[in-house]
Amino acid sequence: MNILRTGSIWGFLVLSALALPAEEIRRIDQRYGDDAVTESPDFRMHIVPLMSRLGCNGRACHGSFQGQGGFRLSLFGYDFKSDHQNLMEGDEPRVQPGKPAESLAMRKALTEEPHEGGKRFDTGTWQHRVFAKWIKDGAKPMPADAVDFVRLDVTPAEMVATKKGDTWQLKAVAVWSDGSSEDVTPLCRFQSNNDQVATITEHGLVTAQGPGDTHVVAFYDNGVVPVPVMHPVSQLVGPQYPKADTPTKIDQLVVNKLQKLGIVQAETCTDAEFLRRVSLDIAGTLPTAAEVEAFLADSSSDKRAKKIDELLERPAYAAWWATKFNDWMGNNARYVGNNNGVDRRELAATQWYEWTRRKVADNIPYDKMIEGVVLAKSRAEDETYEQFCERMSSYYRKGSDRNLGEHSQMPYYWTRSNQNSPEERALSFAYTFLGVRIQCAQCHKHPFDQWTKDDFDRFKGFFGRIKYGPNGPSKKDYQEMLAKLEIETNKKNGNDISKMMAIKINEGKVAPFQEVYIEEVKTPRPDNKKNSDKGKRPQVVQGRTAKVLGGDEVVVAEMPDPRTALMDWMRDEKNPYFTKAIVNRVWAGYFHRGIVEPTDDLSLANPPSNEELFDYLAEGFREHNYDLKWLHREICNSRTYQLSWKANDTNRLDERNFSRAVPRRIPAEVAYDSVRIATTSDQEAAKLVASADGRAISEAIVTTQGNGRGKAGYALTVFGRSIRESNCDCDRSEEASLLQTVYLQNDQELLDQLQRKGSWVDQVVKTIKGPSEEETVVGKRKRASRDVDQLKAALKKAESADNENRIEKIKKELAAAEERAAKLREVAEDAPLKPMDTTEIVRQAYLRTVNRLPTAEEAKRAEAYFAETGDIAIGTRDLLWALLNTKEFVVNH
Amino acid sequence: MASSRTCDGVQRRDFLKAGVLGGTALSLSSYLRIAAAGEVGKARATSAIFINLAGGPTHMDTFDLKPNAPSEYRGEFNPIQTNVSGIEISEHLPKLAQVMDKFTILRGITHTLAAHELGSQYVNTGNRPIPSLEFPGYGAVVTKELGGPENLPPNVSVPNSAQKPGYLGVRYAALNTGATPQAGKPFSVRGVSLQNGLTVNEVERRSNLLNDLDVAFKGFEKDNQLLDGLDRFSEQAYSMITSKRAREAFDVSQESPSFSEQFGTTPFGQSCLLASRLVESGVRFVTISYGGWDTHNNNWQVLKDQRLPPFDQGLSALFRGLEQKGLLSSTAVFVTGEFGRTPKINTTRNGRDHYARAMFMLMAGGGIKPGQVIGETDEKALGPITEAYSPADVAASFFTNLGIDPKKEYHTGTGRPVMIVRDGNVIPQLFA
Repeated sequence: MNILRTGSIWGFLVLSALALPAEEIRRIDQRYGDDAVTESPDFRMHIVPLMSRLGCNGRACHGSFQGQGGFRLSLFGYDFKSDHQNLMEGDEPRVQPGKPAESLAMRKALTEEPHEGGKRFDTGTWQHRVFAKWIKDGAKPMPADAVDFVRLDVTPAEMVATKKGDTWQLKAVAVWSDGSSEDVTPLCRFQSNNDQVATITEHGLVTAQGPGDTHVVAFYDNGVVPVPVMHPVSQLVGPQYPKADTPTKIDQLVVNKLQKLGIVQAETCTDAEFLRRVSLDIAGTLPTAAEVEAFLADSSSDKRAKKIDELLERPAYAAWWATKFNDWMGNNARYVGNNNGVDRRELAATQWYEWTRRKVADNIPYDKMIEGVVLAKSRAEDETYEQFCERMSSYYRKGSDRNLGEHSQMPYYWTRSNQNSPEERALSFAYTFLGVRIQCAQCHKHPFDQWTKDDFDRFKGFFGRIKYGPNGPSKKDYQEMLAKLEIETNKKNGNDISKMMAIKINEGKVAPFQEVYIEEVKTPRPDNKKNSDKGKRPQVVQGRTAKVLGGDEVVVAEMPDPRTALMDWMRDEKNPYFTKAIVNRVWAGYFHRGIVEPTDDLSLANPPSNEELFDYLAEGFREHNYDLKWLHREICNSRTYQLSWKANDTNRLDERNFSRAVPRRIPAEVAYDSVRIATTSDQEAAKLVASADGRAISEAIVTTQGNGRGKAGYALTVFGRSIRESNCDCDRSEEASLLQTVYLQNDQELLDQLQRKGSWVDQVVKTIKGPSEEETVVGKRKRASRDVDQLKAALKKAESADNENRIEKIKKELAAAEERAAKLREVAEDAPLKPMDTTEIVRQAYLRTVNRLPTAEEAKRAEAYFAETGDIAIGTRDLLWALLNTKEFVVNH
Repeated sequence: MASSRTCDGVQRRDFLKAGVLGGTALSLSSYLRIAAAGEVGKARATSAIFINLAGGPTHMDTFDLKPNAPSEYRGEFNPIQTNVSGIEISEHLPKLAQVMDKFTILRGITHTLAAHELGSQYVNTGNRPIPSLEFPGYGAVVTKELGGPENLPPNVSVPNSAQKPGYLGVRYAALNTGATPQAGKPFSVRGVSLQNGLTVNEVERRSNLLNDLDVAFKGFEKDNQLLDGLDRFSEQAYSMITSKRAREAFDVSQESPSFSEQFGTTPFGQSCLLASRLVESGVRFVTISYGGWDTHNNNWQVLKDQRLPPFDQGLSALFRGLEQKGLLSSTAVFVTGEFGRTPKINTTRNGRDHYARAMFMLMAGGGIKPGQVIGETDEKALGPITEAYSPADVAASFFTNLGIDPKKEYHTGTGRPVMIVRDGNVIPQLFA
């Protein structure tokens, strides 16, 4: 691999080590304090930041894509070239070099000319002097050999308030690649991430507003520097902090932060709470009543750790986490494997899901699993197009037991019709595997991160040659194969063709498939001989090189598959995103929020709430060879995960430092399954829990049109299953809504589940009243022998009537009836049902819904209800209904 | 119902309705801002009915006939006069022709998305679809902006809707009735009406039990948005399920026969009847989905035998009915498919195919000036010859009619700022 270092930063580090640091340049407002100033301002260092500070390049002003008043600046100002051009050129140039007073921009800023944006500064201010001096000295652009921005140093590095109203003045120093540094505080943009904790003025003055912790952020040039502000919630800081129980590294790191904030962790949660929480989180599954009882009765001291291990081995764990991975990878049946017809899209989505589920179940290291997606091509090594099509056809044949899941690679990520341009692929890749939102940089400087439009364009370079379609190296084969199948492509539309192909496949024939492949490099003809043999750094041709985010430039044109460079970069231990993105998402699965929140927004201005914790988990995960189960265990076994939701005075309002469990609505699929598990018979519930098949958590087909699909479609939509539509974790919704409550209270689907045949209510009624005779084995035997007798009689009648057709028919029926009767004789008689009284019904109802025993008061109230209704069936049904509608049921706590 | 006018032009009925809004009060500020800017003299609709003609209804055989076009284009229907002189529509829309003075036709609306799904997303959101974002449908935006009644769902679709809440989130999703009412029969709706023969007393008894048992988080609700929200939703759901108002709102059999008769007995007619009843009860946004317009085959026969008669009767009755109830002036009605159909006839199938360059839309109610035709297509109905309006322009006008500023900015889940209608301008003649 040929890597060109983007030399400037490294070069500077060497240089600065040798040269003595130059003296820091004073603040610009001081230097331009009077008219005697001789210094000439720099376009990049001073003018653009000044315009930014004055709001000129904001979205509502000249930063708008249409510009404003015929004048446009790059949004958030990083396009120095076009900004300079736009100032100097056009029908009405804004700047006339050498003539500040006559320049339109100056006249507008002073409102000597009408200016919709109002007055930006007064005559005689430092801002006025800076702008005027720049124009007077020729309004020069950024020089071609300009020094590079190295970093922004902001002090103080951390602010801890003791009371509301404490203030600090931030100081921001820009460091440049020639070793010079300048106090740029007056030229920075500042923001607070939480105004209720700390506010910050445009001058960088921070004021503590209230207890909690947040960051204030300074922006200058390409620098984005967050500075933590903490304001203890209580007096319990430092030596006053009570002794904390920190059995694991996670606990130590969490408490380290809490100590600074005076937040005391909640108590450890009860066993019942733990079981419910960990079961919902790891396996997306509500525990059964029997499981709860067994767990509560278990007196071994390591039962929580054992339960975690057990849950991680369940099929439901793989099913549920595969669903989450498919959310993040965007497996939407509407877009996957498109061009192959509707039926195949659903098959493709199913195969993708099954592939993921198998990898998770086998605990394939995360990087290996992702590599199987990132580097996937449709054809295996050394596979001919024909062999590939044979293999694919075998997967798609009706009743086939072969599945793409057995393949080591999963190409469907690259087949999505909504993500197939290099731009879309770049955005989606950054989102899925890096947890980074770079979409802003597609059009302008990212307002909250270092990304520039140039970064985006160069990152995009990795994706130009990844293709999906029938037009690659196999174009001819594809057409020939279609011809062989006697499908005339010119007479049919795409849907018809795929329908016909499906028929042919089922007839045992081989149909052609589109494939994911890497396009050969189109070598541009060397049209400029002068340059070609001078041994100079090669010219950057569009598509020749690409640059990973925040790192190296790669000559992709010389690589058989540019994606390998991405994979290598992601595996590099210095990669700041790959490991953290998944660690953060897994963490959020357990705590309702990520260490970085939103979970898919790893950016400079959005720092982790606990950096040491984040680093520890990311490093540990990598050191443990990307073992996902290690990560799950590490988190679940921490005391931090096992805290109670019951808040104390210090952590009542804390939702970002993991000082207690935060109640959260259970996800759509889990909610749907939980209702099923809670309402069905004990026997059926045990089956549902043991296997993930047929559960909502293992539903492979997710589309934007999920509304009418399947019987779970309505509920899953209402509860906000991921729509897998855009590059955002927010495609899944965990907010509550009125329709969800209406569903749980009164939807026919739910009411039917409560009292259908085979429901728990049904079971209870039978247990108490005894089953009706026809449902017992004894009753069934009686019925069978009655059938045999009747048929024998009928046979005699038919024989005497000499009706041959009828004789034949009855003989068949008789044989079947005798077989049935024989089988029933083998079946054991029903065991007597366990007696149940209302106390037991109430107990079981609690165990199967909220997974705990009722309190004495609750039990009393619930039992009284049976007296109120005077009917076991109605009493049981309504009690279960009420428990399903408690907040405790739909909330994971 | 009598409606008296107050000095500022807002009808008294509207105040009564505003009075039962929950925490989300009527957003009058944006309305007043637009009104003050003079863009819209009398924006006064406070609720809306959106009728989605899925499949793409042909414009040339309905509201934009070209009797003098060459035979490869013309089609077999003839125009008839309406009750507004100079406006002609299809002979198979005789009842609508008699209420032409109550609505306005937009001709030559134009766009480029001649595929069902994309076109449908466009006309259901007012934004050209983009892959990176799911735009909220009109119903979600309107209920977010204007709120809803206390014991009724704010956003109802009959029987379902192509609109999604998009980036606004599931809490603005529509309640789908899942079925259309049948004439004269009681109608109940998924989740809202009492099921399985439950009586109000039984529901009350059951809910008392729930209240007594839902105590695990007692005392902690106020510190947690989710718990607090669940409590509020629970109360709201209960009152919705038990209130007479909600049940009656959906029950079209309670309308007087003389009123409901005009709607006919077809599913579409009954949907229109239900829509008028829901709006009267205070539901903010009603969508009616009426599909089957994808007439690649046997266009004229399908239209005159199946599609147009129920449409003609139902929609004309809706305009009349809203007016009779004094609701037309406060209800914005918007009728559209996802595109028009090829002016040139597909002779092999005797049909018309997808065509987005020219289509029709209908608007009525609120501040809309009725009895007009806005826009004009060429002699073969191939495209607009006057100023070309897009679905986004019509969407901007629709929102404006409801007092919602179409340029208002929302933030998506990723923090991206997006205007309600990104690329549309209000069509001033609609309000002239």
